[in-house]
Amino acid sequence: MEWNGYTGNILNVDLTGEKISIMKQNPDDLKQFIGGFGMNCKLGAERIKPETDPFSPENFVIVGVGPLVGTITPGASRTAGISKFPATGAIANSCGSMSFGFHLKQAGYDHIIISGKAEKPTYLQIIDDHVELNDAKDMWGSDIVETTDFLWKKYGSSGVIAIGQAGENMVRGALTLIDKTSTFGRGGIAAVMGYKNLKAIVTQGTKGVSIAHPKEFNEAYKKLFERIRNYPQRQSWHEVGMLRSLPMGLMLTAQGQKKKARQVSDRFYLKKIKKRRIACPSCPMADKDILEIKEGEHCGLIQYTSSAINPFLMFTLKGLNTYDEVIKIFDLANRYGLDSLTLTALFELITRLHEQGVITEEMLGLKWKSDYETLAEVTEMIAYRKGLGEVLAGGWKEIGKKFNIEDKMLQVKGLDVIFDPRFMRLGTMEFEQVVNVKGAHVASGGSPTYATSGGSIERFKTHFKRMGIPDPAIKRIFKPLKEEMMVNVPRLTRYSEDWYALLTSMGLCARAQMNRFFSMENVTNFYNAVTGFDRSQEDLRIAAERSWNLLKLLNAREGFSRKDDKFPKEWFNNLKYGNNELQLHDFFGTTVITPTIANQLLNDYYDERGWNLEDGLPSQKKVKELELTPYM
Amino acid sequence: MSSKTRRKIITHEEQCVGCRICQLWCSYQFTGKFSFSKAFIKIEEPYGLEPKISFLEDCTTCGQCADHCLYGALEKIEEGM
Ligand code: SF4
Ligand code: SF4
Repeated sequence: MEWNGYTGNILNVDLTGEKISIMKQNPDDLKQFIGGFGMNCKLGAERIKPETDPFSPENFVIVGVGPLVGTITPGASRTAGISKFPATGAIANSCGSMSFGFHLKQAGYDHIIISGKAEKPTYLQIIDDHVELNDAKDMWGSDIVETTDFLWKKYGSSGVIAIGQAGENMVRGALTLIDKTSTFGRGGIAAVMGYKNLKAIVTQGTKGVSIAHPKEFNEAYKKLFERIRNYPQRQSWHEVGMLRSLPMGLMLTAQGQKKKARQVSDRFYLKKIKKRRIACPSCPMADKDILEIKEGEHCGLIQYTSSAINPFLMFTLKGLNTYDEVIKIFDLANRYGLDSLTLTALFELITRLHEQGVITEEMLGLKWKSDYETLAEVTEMIAYRKGLGEVLAGGWKEIGKKFNIEDKMLQVKGLDVIFDPRFMRLGTMEFEQVVNVKGAHVASGGSPTYATSGGSIERFKTHFKRMGIPDPAIKRIFKPLKEEMMVNVPRLTRYSEDWYALLTSMGLCARAQMNRFFSMENVTNFYNAVTGFDRSQEDLRIAAERSWNLLKLLNAREGFSRKDDKFPKEWFNNLKYGNNELQLHDFFGTTVITPTIANQLLNDYYDERGWNLEDGLPSQKKVKELELTPYM
Repeated sequence: MSSKTRRKIITHEEQCVGCRICQLWCSYQFTGKFSFSKAFIKIEEPYGLEPKISFLEDCTTCGQCADHCLYGALEKIEEGM
């Protein structure tokens, strides 16, 4: 058959037997799961056996790129990856961007299925039909930036997924970077690659991606392109990028760290830190940064990041005093392949518990001070599993047991909370951290409460409609637990997740500044014009829901259930923030969330999903309705 | 374009973000496929500190890449002959 949008090819790479083969896509599967994220779930379900050790040849890393990637559809550049994650033991998807997906499609593949374990350090080269496992002996031990630069020098412009020393040393939460910029695999994909002796994947191609209906495509493209061109905020996105989306200055000021707040202002960033803006292929809202330290001890340091917010979030740590210290630590974390957010959470927790006398220096085997030197030292110790680093590299579960601090940790299922709802209130993004199969993660809960926070109910409705939420569900979303809460966040979370699953299956960007331009209608139009399939909006909505449910079923097989969807206990205590004591409130700040209310919120979420209230898992009825019975 | 004018495309490389929209549009209009390598405009080191933009001999100076660049890196100039 003739393939459009899709390449129709799945690459099988068996590292143990050094065997490479190509499998054809089955169009019936694509009807059920679209591609990218969705097809990853299906391919993973058929391969990752229950109770597989994440560090075993039987674990898989499956990379997938949706049907719109490779075309000029704005923001279509995402790469999704599924594996059993060592930090949590959950089977989960992770996403990144930059140019990997584009290049992979150009080379002629929709998915890569990696299994087994290489005998010695290896990297995977995918250049058109030249797919090879190459010796990575000389690259082993080098960091992500060095590895990527080396491969770019060798191959020229190409997509690169690379691991650093943290991945090589199987630090449980280690992540990879795509094109040394975009984080991919928080929770341990890099550690799985490290176990498999797979240092990097490099891809490049010349085949071109064709589409089925150019006329329809041009129409959809022109309409969207003009809307984006005329978007009044576009210029300011180009200028300050991701800093638009989180008021870091306010956060630091609220914490009483005013001196630092100045160093995260737009003006300071533009004058002192930003070197250049870069974009994923096809993106009209470029938001990736090249940062540069232009003065002082670290003068000349160049740092790539998919979001300037990430280094700045480290700035909330007491003892880090200047922006250049923050960027230097962030640079270390990125090079090793450590998650800077996890590092921040770890450092904050140990400092707090050390102050309270819960964790002593004797227990740590280290003189503890909340300052730049200590943080730099600990970062290195984790990456190389030295001393205290050996415990910290084991992830939250191991840390909790070792220091007996399980109840004090801000984590869900073994991943640290990114946004604390005591500061941000409980929107979909915060709530979803509790129910996400992956553990506390924010990508899939993000829309749309953030696009409209502080906005009117009418604006909420506009977003609900564009996401394709059915009318009866919209009615339920406006019936929260208590009237004054205005919006039923748990019910809305279901649709945020499904919308995310749709975008990620297509390969489309889910960040707010691009997400806002997509609707069920235009995504469906793009999909049909590109692939030549004739799918209704409802078909695609159900395919996205099906994928999310399948991922849940895979984790039910691993023993996860309602007992694991737990609000961190610490959330019910007050958070000291500068001179303020913050309590856990609903999204509009009207109601204090108690453990009893939290339980009711979970009920609403499961109910909206059609899952059992008792175990929080898909009901027989839902499984049957979504044709997922074979995966029970 | 009248016969008395000639079109030129001026590059502002410092504005380029490496989005490759120019290449995707160019390859699409001439070959019907989206591709970096089939475009008549070349972006070298798109994620380097200083990307380089150049045009291949087959470029018709149609200017469509410049029309699609949203970052001010390509500018269309009509020159009198
Ligand atoms: S020239 Fe313009 S369209 Fe082309 S890559 Fe650079 S910024 Fe993007
Ligand atoms: S001017 Fe026309 S032919 Fe030349 S690179 Fe731009 S789009 Fe292609």
